[in-house]
Amino acid sequence: MKQGIKLHTINTNKFKTNLIAIFLSTPLIRENVTKNSLLVSVLRRGCEKYRTQEEISKKLEEMYGAEFNCGLDKIGKNHVLKFYIESINDEFLPQNGENMLKQSMDILSEIIFNPLIQDEGFNEEYINQEKENVKQIIEAKKDNKANYAIFRCVEEMYKNKPEGLYKYGYTEDLEEINTKNLYSYYNQLINTCKIDIFISGKLDGIEVEKLVQENENISKLQERSPLFTVNKPEQKNGEKEENEVEEKLDVTQGKLVIGYDVIASKDELENKKFRYVGMLYNAILGGTATSKLFQNVREKESLAYTASSSFSYYTGNVFINAGIEIENFEKANNIIKEQIEDMKKGEFTEEDIKNAKKVIISNIDGISDEQDTEIIYFLGQELSNNNVTLEQYKKYIQDISKNKIEVFAKKIRINTIYFLRN
Amino acid sequence: MQIIENLKVKEKVYIEKLKNGLTVMIIPKEGIKKKYIIWGTRYGSNDSKFIVPGENQVTEVPKGVAHFLEHKMFEQENGRNSLDVLSSLGVNANAFTTNTHTAYLYEATDNFYEALDEFMDYVQHPYFTDENVEKEKGIIGQEIMMYDDYPEWKVYLNALEAMYHTNPVKLDITGTIETISHIDKEILYKCYNTFYNPSNMCLVVCGDFNPDEILKDIEKRLIDNKAEGEIKRIYEQENETVVNPKVESNMEVSIPLFTLGIKCIPPKQKEKVKTHIAIDVLLNLIIGESSNLYQELYKSGVILNMPTFEYEFTDEYAHILISGISRNPDIFFDMINKEIDNYLINGINEQDFERIKKMIYGEYIKEYNDVSNIARIFLTDFMKDVNSFDYIEEITTLDIEYAKQVLRDNFKKEKMVFSVVKAS
Repeated sequence: MKQGIKLHTINTNKFKTNLIAIFLSTPLIRENVTKNSLLVSVLRRGCEKYRTQEEISKKLEEMYGAEFNCGLDKIGKNHVLKFYIESINDEFLPQNGENMLKQSMDILSEIIFNPLIQDEGFNEEYINQEKENVKQIIEAKKDNKANYAIFRCVEEMYKNKPEGLYKYGYTEDLEEINTKNLYSYYNQLINTCKIDIFISGKLDGIEVEKLVQENENISKLQERSPLFTVNKPEQKNGEKEENEVEEKLDVTQGKLVIGYDVIASKDELENKKFRYVGMLYNAILGGTATSKLFQNVREKESLAYTASSSFSYYTGNVFINAGIEIENFEKANNIIKEQIEDMKKGEFTEEDIKNAKKVIISNIDGISDEQDTEIIYFLGQELSNNNVTLEQYKKYIQDISKNKIEVFAKKIRINTIYFLRN
Repeated sequence: MQIIENLKVKEKVYIEKLKNGLTVMIIPKEGIKKKYIIWGTRYGSNDSKFIVPGENQVTEVPKGVAHFLEHKMFEQENGRNSLDVLSSLGVNANAFTTNTHTAYLYEATDNFYEALDEFMDYVQHPYFTDENVEKEKGIIGQEIMMYDDYPEWKVYLNALEAMYHTNPVKLDITGTIETISHIDKEILYKCYNTFYNPSNMCLVVCGDFNPDEILKDIEKRLIDNKAEGEIKRIYEQENETVVNPKVESNMEVSIPLFTLGIKCIPPKQKEKVKTHIAIDVLLNLIIGESSNLYQELYKSGVILNMPTFEYEFTDEYAHILISGISRNPDIFFDMINKEIDNYLINGINEQDFERIKKMIYGEYIKEYNDVSNIARIFLTDFMKDVNSFDYIEEITTLDIEYAKQVLRDNFKKEKMVFSVVKAS
């Protein structure tokens, strides 16, 4: 639409709803995470046109329960502020002529781009209340022990680096934020961030581009050379020593998380297919119910209720996590290590590969059956300057041979073993 | 096949009751890649005391059998685990147990029919041995311990325990490590044979199907089985009062969690949908996003986000649950009580009422976005003996006087319990 502002439309007749998403992407840095976190919370409290949350809610309820949502995500080295509105397609309303899509675009753009400003700053009451709210969200990270353990392992692996930052920010950074400096940060963000607008729904006969361009709030946005980081995997040298961390909290079940680095050369990392090999490796290791971890840690040894792995391409890591009885730490740790070694030795079958491919491909097939999932997939492509269609994605997975997975398996080194116990 | 169509949401359901008693429901969704199937039996954690059709004496089994059985169904005589077989076909398979039913399901984008072979085979062929039953006790033991770490679970169960004297809804679905220790293969077979009869089950499919063809595909995979008589389930008479109006537990949480429970009289068959909708509207009016109460509580910092609320009902029990987190749960409790009084005395504002109805209409429509959601709704509603489409029709005609009556009948002070979990 303009430099740095991009409209993506997904015309689909699978849904009863239209979903609009607006993403503001900006580099993930310690200095800004807390501000971003607070900003999202403050914006949803009220805007120039609908000054209170009550007014916003009433308007949304009138629109047959249109749903506004906002949140934050870490995508590679970017912090993404996410805003969504989902509303019923006019076809399914009890009466005609409501133009829900336009109404939705209007209210969403008001909330993000036309905030309630008083005295050259945000509303003071909103800032103060939302500081408390954000503080609570940050403190609550310990409440879900399994997620907390994963976060802590990542934090240990990326001390003082963007990847290790907590997406909701830090309580100690909240204090110095006030109505005015947050507003000036907001202006800077809005004028420099990358803006992606996604519209998904049954859009036949609707001039979507016109609808967006004619929106007052969007048309007033300036061109920009957007400040964001093009996501690409980082090379690791693997010289780091194994780090073991034990932390105590009141848990009945121990949470074990092991973080691995993927040590690969620049050439390998730049090969487009590397990512897909990693995904397949992960699926065989611990991504499915037939995976090695699930079979050996959970089923054969009855050691855990959960045992799985995940692969993070941009950070170049594989994570394994398991919920285990505390006295079984050594035993579980050893069995997990055996699985990693087996993978290195190529001890997995063509059958395993076939199964893993099936699971991944079936997930790819399902992407377009969910509006938000499809949008997030294309956002990921956009932020990494890629344009892999779902069909290509399937083909990449399909084409991977056993040999490639074995090569990948040999690149895995333990970085951190984290154990949460009582 | 019986066909029910809803013109508002533009969907159809095809229903067939087979000779063996099995109910099959098909909701076709053209153009969607995902296919979803769910097969449920009216057998949940609450059913531990019953009379087997054809017998005279009462059978009583340990708590947690329905859930244990669910876990063990995947194991096959040939040594294979059906969950693995389904996973290796690239389908997403799972199972769950609730208070009132157990369900097996999978979602597929590819290999749906190969998966159907395995799926219908394993649900119809239990294989329990002393050894595999013993082993499962370890896995379920871990699952029980995992739930012990969830404060959300604790605050919920405490509320139910405070509400019910005898109804088993107050007990953990999984049973306890003690109760499951008494489970053996004979018990599992007995419960399987009683409750997994087709006449006690319902199978729902949703996706891009031709209804006649998928029905045939299902029928030819059914083993020979005859419909059995009614299973008599025995629940002790539940006293209308609550057990304990306030309960508190300590856990390591950063902020207290609360659940407000209101014990209700189970709705009559004809009133189920209407009562459910009316309570939904009332809860939104009282504590929904646009309510005065929510705005006030949020601004004063008593609560930090929207509490969740729901109305649960069967023929045996019914209750409302409102759950959330709060720095000061007691203030929440006092304020919501005042607001309920306010509604009881001053009635309902018509504009607000119509607005909330529009919102709930939209919510019902949105539920039809996803094949898994659609199939689950139809199964759940089948278990409650209601037709899912009725919600969409009834919401448009709900009137304010009816809602007021439901308010008076259900939101009663003496039926409230308040459960809190906070740090010690």
